[in-house]
Amino acid sequence: MFTISTYFSMAYVLLLLGAILLYEVFPKRARRWVLLLFSYLFFFLISRKLVIYLMLSTLSVHHIGLWLSDVQAECKLKMKEIPKEEKKALSASYQKRLRGIMCFAVFLHVGTLFVLKYTPFTIGNINALFDLAGISLTLPTPRLLVPIGISFYTLQAVSYLFDVYRQKIPADRNLLRLAMFMSFFPQIMEGPICRYSDTAESLWQAERIKYSALIQGGQRILYGVMKKLVIADRLNILIKDVFASYNDYEGIVIAISAVFYTIQLYCDFSGTMDVVIGSAQIFGVKLPENFRRPFFSATISEFWQRWHITLGTFFKDYVFYPLSMSKPLKKLTTKARKKLGNHFGPLLSGAIALFCVWLFNGLWHGAGWNYIFFGMYHFVLILIGSTIEPLVIKVTQKLHIKRTCLPYKCFQIVRTTILVMIGELFFRAEGLRTGFAMFLKIFTDRSFAPVSDGAIFTYGMDKPDFIIIGVAVLILFVIGLIQEKGVHIREAIARRNIVLQFAIFYALILFIIIFGAYGTGYIPLDPIYANF
Amino acid sequence: MDEKLFEILEDIQPEVDYHTCTTLIDDHYLNSLAIISLVAELEEAFDVTIPTVEIIPENFNSAENMWKMIVRLQEEG
Repeated sequence: MFTISTYFSMAYVLLLLGAILLYEVFPKRARRWVLLLFSYLFFFLISRKLVIYLMLSTLSVHHIGLWLSDVQAECKLKMKEIPKEEKKALSASYQKRLRGIMCFAVFLHVGTLFVLKYTPFTIGNINALFDLAGISLTLPTPRLLVPIGISFYTLQAVSYLFDVYRQKIPADRNLLRLAMFMSFFPQIMEGPICRYSDTAESLWQAERIKYSALIQGGQRILYGVMKKLVIADRLNILIKDVFASYNDYEGIVIAISAVFYTIQLYCDFSGTMDVVIGSAQIFGVKLPENFRRPFFSATISEFWQRWHITLGTFFKDYVFYPLSMSKPLKKLTTKARKKLGNHFGPLLSGAIALFCVWLFNGLWHGAGWNYIFFGMYHFVLILIGSTIEPLVIKVTQKLHIKRTCLPYKCFQIVRTTILVMIGELFFRAEGLRTGFAMFLKIFTDRSFAPVSDGAIFTYGMDKPDFIIIGVAVLILFVIGLIQEKGVHIREAIARRNIVLQFAIFYALILFIIIFGAYGTGYIPLDPIYANF
Repeated sequence: MDEKLFEILEDIQPEVDYHTCTTLIDDHYLNSLAIISLVAELEEAFDVTIPTVEIIPENFNSAENMWKMIVRLQEEG
């Protein structure tokens, strides 16, 4: 009944409608239980008995949060009772205890994620090493069932515990509220990765559904469905075939596939986020945005501030800054700054922290060398970007190029987009070796024949498909351009009369029905990020 | 506000009017590498420890907010 493609299935629509109906029928207190029950039901329907992982994780987070809070309270109490000169030693001993609890918590939660997700990859590499060393020993690879969304809810759990540890938020004694935060069904499968302070309170408030939220949430859901059904799914056959047997295709077709895959990934993931954020909006919950028109980015660094934003901020807050602000790296920064100056001084410790961020980022996406390469590729690009920045400023000044002028900005945007597309080619390729082979073939097999003789229209996408994709991408571009100018489109529509509001609703529905890629001849795309 | 703070800021990233700018982070005047430098310098100059939890845009968007954070951390000891 429930396939992995749940956010775009009739089953999800029914589940959402059921949740809305029961949520509205019951009084405030019971509404919280309605949301929790629907969240667990959703998870159960996708992952069956693996829902136990989510429940155990929630119980553990609740318990460790309280444990941290109790130790912090005990520390504060004792600090009041002792003389000033003893305070430093006491604080240090409590800090050590708190750090110990945090290490245990990270070990438990990230360790579970690591064991479930990376055991086959680790064992596979150990076996390859044995083979290389001539040792005739092969470790058996266990088949582990990984609950959907574990990479997302584990990061939420870790962020909650770190925030309690840093006393940014108080530990929540209310297990129901914490369980709602950990399992809220629209976001459990693909994020966004929320902080406790983002959503817990609005979930707990369980306010009545407002008409405006219903309409605006509905519009956002339809926009997401449009991205997925009209664009992402329509591109699927060509991408699937080319990436599965790239040897049968010319370099130009591989290059087009890399472009299409980047568009597909964006439409699939950001379309899912539209459905997720729109669904949450109906219940009065404002989820953080995960995308901010990434293809308007001037640099790779900016791209990652606009693409999968919640993952980027998670790594920034819980990996990059804690590492770069650690005592040894701070010392390194101060020393290096004195010797190498303002620009290159912090670059060294920044690079060490950045390397860890991108290693984790690559690994988070999947257990495979192509994902690690993907992370390292972006690490190198960001590092190069930061290193040569003063040189670029000098060169542009000498050439009298205004860095804020439109042509230069366009050049930056095109360059960044091409670099992103190369990265996505490796990301999608079936293995790192295949990725390199595909990338090389773009330059070695330079025949333009598939485009000039029209053979490209026989590779799973015909001419009308190309036209529909072109028009839909143009619509996304125009909407993006308007949003870049600071216009909130849905709010602007909401201020207009009801006829126009419903006309837009119907236009979106009609567009999806007429131009959506569904039914015979199409293969719906499984949500890409649900597998991470 | 201590003039030393402005000296440090201008040393790290010149060409910004730190007396008026209130969007140092939001408008990308200070990137993460500048923040790494800045924190190390502020800690040394004002004898405070800036914990990671304090590294949020609100605290670094203006010189005034940075100064408020420094004073608060000094008071907390």
